[in-house]
Amino acid sequence: MDIDEPEIHENSDEDMAVGPSSNKKDDKEHNFWKNNSNEIKANPERFGIEESSMELLRVFYNRFFPYKTYCYWLNYNNIEMNKSFQNREFNFVKPGNEEVYIRYLSFDTIEEFKNEVLRVCPKKIDIGAVFTAKPKEKKSLKLSALKPVEKELVFDIDMDDYDEFRTCCSGATICEKCWQLIAVAIKILSAALREDFGFKHLLWVYSGRRGVHCWVCDERARKLNDDERKSIASYLGVIKGGAQQTKKVHLYKNSIHPSINRAHKIIEKYFEQVILEDQEVLKDKQEWTKVLDCIPDDNVRHRLNDNWSDNPSKHSIEKWDNLLEELNSSAKTTKNQKKADSLQICKIEIMLQYLYPRLDEAVSTKMNHLLKSPFCVHPITGRVCVPIILEECENFNPMTVPTISSLYNEINDYDRRNVKNDRERNLHDYEKTSLRPYIKYFEKFIQNVLKETLAKNRALNQTSMEF
Amino acid sequence: MFSSTDTNNKRALASSNIRGDRYEVKRHQKYPHALNFYSVPPTEEITIDEFEGFAFDRLQVLKALEGAILRNKSEEDIKDIDKKLSLPLHSDDAAKAYPLEEERRKDHISHFILRLAYSRTVDLRNWFLKYECALFKLRFIRENKEERLAFLNNENIRWKNLSQAERELMREKFTKEESNACSITYDDELFEIDFEKVPDLVAKRAVYIKEGKAYVPTTEQISLVMYEFRQRLAKALELASKSFITLRNERIMPMLDEIIKYDGRTQTTNNYSLIDNPNADNLAEHFPLCMQHLYQNLCEKHHLKHFARIQFNLFLKGIGLTVEEALAFWRKSFSEIDEAKFLKDYAYNIRHNYGLEGKRQDYKPLNCMSIISSYRPNSGEIHGCPFREFSQSNLSAKLVQMGVRDEEHIKEILNLTEGEHYQIACTKYFEITRGLSDKNNDNVIIGTIEHPNEYLNASVSNEKNRMKMNNKDKMVNK
Ligand code: SF4
Ligand SMILES: [Zn+2]
Repeated sequence: MDIDEPEIHENSDEDMAVGPSSNKKDDKEHNFWKNNSNEIKANPERFGIEESSMELLRVFYNRFFPYKTYCYWLNYNNIEMNKSFQNREFNFVKPGNEEVYIRYLSFDTIEEFKNEVLRVCPKKIDIGAVFTAKPKEKKSLKLSALKPVEKELVFDIDMDDYDEFRTCCSGATICEKCWQLIAVAIKILSAALREDFGFKHLLWVYSGRRGVHCWVCDERARKLNDDERKSIASYLGVIKGGAQQTKKVHLYKNSIHPSINRAHKIIEKYFEQVILEDQEVLKDKQEWTKVLDCIPDDNVRHRLNDNWSDNPSKHSIEKWDNLLEELNSSAKTTKNQKKADSLQICKIEIMLQYLYPRLDEAVSTKMNHLLKSPFCVHPITGRVCVPIILEECENFNPMTVPTISSLYNEINDYDRRNVKNDRERNLHDYEKTSLRPYIKYFEKFIQNVLKETLAKNRALNQTSMEF
Repeated sequence: MFSSTDTNNKRALASSNIRGDRYEVKRHQKYPHALNFYSVPPTEEITIDEFEGFAFDRLQVLKALEGAILRNKSEEDIKDIDKKLSLPLHSDDAAKAYPLEEERRKDHISHFILRLAYSRTVDLRNWFLKYECALFKLRFIRENKEERLAFLNNENIRWKNLSQAERELMREKFTKEESNACSITYDDELFEIDFEKVPDLVAKRAVYIKEGKAYVPTTEQISLVMYEFRQRLAKALELASKSFITLRNERIMPMLDEIIKYDGRTQTTNNYSLIDNPNADNLAEHFPLCMQHLYQNLCEKHHLKHFARIQFNLFLKGIGLTVEEALAFWRKSFSEIDEAKFLKDYAYNIRHNYGLEGKRQDYKPLNCMSIISSYRPNSGEIHGCPFREFSQSNLSAKLVQMGVRDEEHIKEILNLTEGEHYQIACTKYFEITRGLSDKNNDNVIIGTIEHPNEYLNASVSNEKNRMKMNNKDKMVNK
């Protein structure tokens, strides 16, 4: 595809991909895919990268982007480039104030990919599925020849979905306190993916602003069809209902799935600190009403509300204790067994409602969905979409993630300080900056993934020798 | 299979359907089970009449299933759908009362005809696969435990089973609540299976899943069976589609074409009317939404535009209005138009619809298909099918106006229209407004509304039934 041409958005494109995914804020831009206009435009103010940041972006792609590891990852093999990479759909968003997508890109070699990135200097890169043929040859292919066959199983958790009770920040901002909501979600989701589904290679990536993505890279996960993806998303989708729904978790006392139980155990460790201390969800009436709405008994609700209205200054932790006591004693006194059960289970329902991961299902259920790539730069914050070390996700601080301008400064400082220092000439540029730990982690992660393909190939070779 | 002379056909059909050896097809002297995985194609010869009849009967069942499923019917509601429509299939224990061999033969052959007819495109294949699965499922559920087991054994279907010791280990690990959630009873069998094979159970969190394996209790065995059935049929359809291309037979091709075009039920005849002394105004409450809408507009504005007039006039004709009655009705309704203009501009058309002018063609009342898709209204025009033409918000306002009060019902109808299932939405609307949507009502109609006049007739006869019932009640009370 000649990318200097204006991009023509064809109708047929719609069934090829489900639109680029990123955080919810970008939802508007999904709609642009439905337009028949020649170019896809969005509000220039929101997506504007100014001239100066263009320059920074160029430096980033020139000196920091981990091309090799990145391409080996998508290739699932570091010996020769194969279909997994070559038939992979990429989607670039051109720099500039308008949202112009270049779709159906694909590359045969690492070099080709790198050159194109450097030439276009995309302000966003999306990764799509691996197809039966090269997406870039789409024009000369029959539509039926281009079918998605593989993609990582992906998940998207976004702070938007927590805004209904998040009190420390609002809108696009994020702090260490509310990061904990995401961190707990990461723990719960990782446990389920590993223990239940047996997936090993989970790459968690910071989206650059207020969310995270998870790329499940196991071969078995990549091969899932849409129905299977849907079933997993539904298995993990405990939180049901949108803004119009106050109670979002429904359980039965006598029937609790092991995976819910495990999530509950994880949540128990964090609920007091994260929900009661940090978010203070019982602080004032407006907040506590949301919690009380989840209780299936008017009397209990009223008693608690009266109690707290009389002593509004009580700390959330104390109020939570009141709530547990009320639930317990009411469950004991009621003669209605069903009522008693629902009161007893209510505590767990509330805890899950606040800390169970809130997933954007659409992202996970379609193999064809495009998702913002790791090591992209967020067009507004300028932060790099770096991987998150799962074991340390609580300590991850989104505010300290390098931005393209901080990296620019770091590397210039470094160069100035080390003008005459030949010893370190062999260092990669990223190693001279705060990007280092992230890329190191990424490399290690990819190594583990590749080791598995290698082992599998060896096993395959052996069996084929035996025949 | 199709004619005594054409051996080519026989081969083509046979080879299109089996994985195995196409010449070594065993002749079905007997069908050991009512259930059938359809792995062996029929080889006997059948008449053209049988060919068509079998195919249409099965298609009718599949279409009815589609409608029922889209309208959220319960398993209980649909469990005998095939028996009600002429594709009965009884178990061995009914051998005295029913010709089992014959039923099974028809089931077997009709499946293979449709399989071939529907193998042509991805969409057709998916549709067929979906509703064949639904049909098999209800039949499997209908069988008793022994029969199911015998059938599975016969088909050689087995799954890895946990040993008693392994189950004991699980018992120690789980709480009672957890065992309940995963439906595990430790004394019964527990199958270990890749989670990909039971997506429905995974989605519902209905089974225990560990390291990529799902542990499926016998109560959920149906999911495993359905997986096998679906896999096999999908593969078979794929194969059939390939042989379809090579199947160029002048006899069969047109028949298969016919089957696909067939809309699942016998064409209603020209005479729709069940109603004595038809009168549009008295019957208005029985109109389907499309005609209600036109009628209301006509009453308010005393006018209808061209296509709306045709749509409504033919509907009146279907009700049984004579041309004189129709003319009188329009004259009265177009009250703001003077006699001369009416005669000049409108009467002709009305008579034309009745075949009394122009080509003298006797036009038939439009069915839903043509109302829905043939002449879509432009802006300012109000004809067509409201389930298609109304925006979601307008439609829900209309539904409320027509007395649909339940949020759930409205949502359900809107969902159907969004999925482009307009006629099914209409059928749902019919059921809701006639109080037929609750499960224990015998009057549940199985099919989908295909024609506005059919809607009207159903509504009228439903009311008659209700009145009869009421009278009976009164008698009893006395
Ligand atoms: S489905 Fe048919 S009867 Fe129902 S409103 Fe539409 S056109 Fe009329
Ligand atoms: Zn915050």
